[in-house]
Amino acid sequence: MTTTDSNPASVEVDPSGRFAGTGTRGTRILGSMTVVAMVWLVAFGLGFSPADRDQDEAVRIMYVHVPTIWVAYMSFVVTAVASGFYLFGRSKALGWDRLAGASAEIGTIFVAATLVVGSLWGRLTWGVFWQWDARLTTTALLFVTYIGYLAVRRLGGSHQQRARRSAVVGLLAVLLIPLVHWSVRLWRSLHQEATVLDTDGDIDMDGLMLFSLFVGVVAFTLFYIWLVLHRTRVMAMEDMMDDRGLDLALASRRAEVVPTQKLEEN
Amino acid sequence: MSEMNLTPRGPAEPTASGGKSKRNWLSIAVLALVLVAGGVIVTQFLTSAVDYYCNVDEVGVRDGCDADRRIRLQGTVDEGSVEKVGNATVFTMSFNDETIGVSYDGEPGGIFKECIPVVVHGVIEQGTLQGDRVEVKHSDEYVSVNDERVTEAEAAGCTSTT
Repeated sequence: MTTTDSNPASVEVDPSGRFAGTGTRGTRILGSMTVVAMVWLVAFGLGFSPADRDQDEAVRIMYVHVPTIWVAYMSFVVTAVASGFYLFGRSKALGWDRLAGASAEIGTIFVAATLVVGSLWGRLTWGVFWQWDARLTTTALLFVTYIGYLAVRRLGGSHQQRARRSAVVGLLAVLLIPLVHWSVRLWRSLHQEATVLDTDGDIDMDGLMLFSLFVGVVAFTLFYIWLVLHRTRVMAMEDMMDDRGLDLALASRRAEVVPTQKLEEN
Repeated sequence: MSEMNLTPRGPAEPTASGGKSKRNWLSIAVLALVLVAGGVIVTQFLTSAVDYYCNVDEVGVRDGCDADRRIRLQGTVDEGSVEKVGNATVFTMSFNDETIGVSYDGEPGGIFKECIPVVVHGVIEQGTLQGDRVEVKHSDEYVSVNDERVTEAEAAGCTSTT
């Protein structure tokens, strides 16, 4: 008995019928593109882009710090959208739930990277690793909230129960993103205001620095997509393993009936 | 035909289900930690993050910016004001045409220099802010070190309203 639609169509199967991995031609091309984009990022981030007037070489941390948080925002939005499709869609397809979960996992890792890299940048520019200002505090809250989301996903129950409860949390947690982004406008903060995603439309950034930042966003976005594709497929396999475990347990329980029946007949 | 025996079994052997149960407890423990961490963060937010600093011109004027209590004060380091007096770094900082003297015991870290906004933590004694921490609040502008605008900005001096 299988209770879910856990057949991952995109998972490769070798001729003997066993899973050969989560890679496909598409993900291999995407992986190659990610490597090329990362090499570009290293070249522009460490080589071609200039040092900053005030921050000197420390500005290069921006090419990791900013793209990772933008991609984290995007991944949490993907989690919320996929959660919405699961919760309000007719099919209740678990594929949406797995996409939501995979995206949240990777987004959480990216927020952690933002916090770590940001604290190093803070030490070099502000003079301190951490301060409880509005931006840092709300970002920490975002991180902890999605750790909570991931814990909720592992509370047990059926796949559908997992999907339902985590979809609700996924839809609520995404509301923190505007708070994080606008925290530097809403309150006085040690963290500087947004330079690119600003409302005044005036980007106060050197052209080559801006291009390097763009390369960073492209590289980390490709990396995110590659990771999500693989993680979603691994999750599909995990669900399938769970279902097979249930099927095997039921089959073994049924098998116990047969000897009992024979004994009664004798 | 006899039906399946659905009576409860004896104590189960430690199998995959045992592992799952452990995983559930771990998840509950993580959730509890998340709630505690969330509480700490919200507390920090309410006590520290909201309005992280007062501006120099708000001392004794704005609510929460009283001169007789510990304060975080923001202003721009005045041009030509930075001096070393013994181990201390002494300078003045300004905001909206109001200026205050600062004495910090040590060398400020980060990218501290003249004409840059800073947040100084400390207490005001006899009109001077005795700082025990200096944080540099750099702007949202990113200018190449080779940019022509650098020399223009340097020629123009620094403003006190950033």
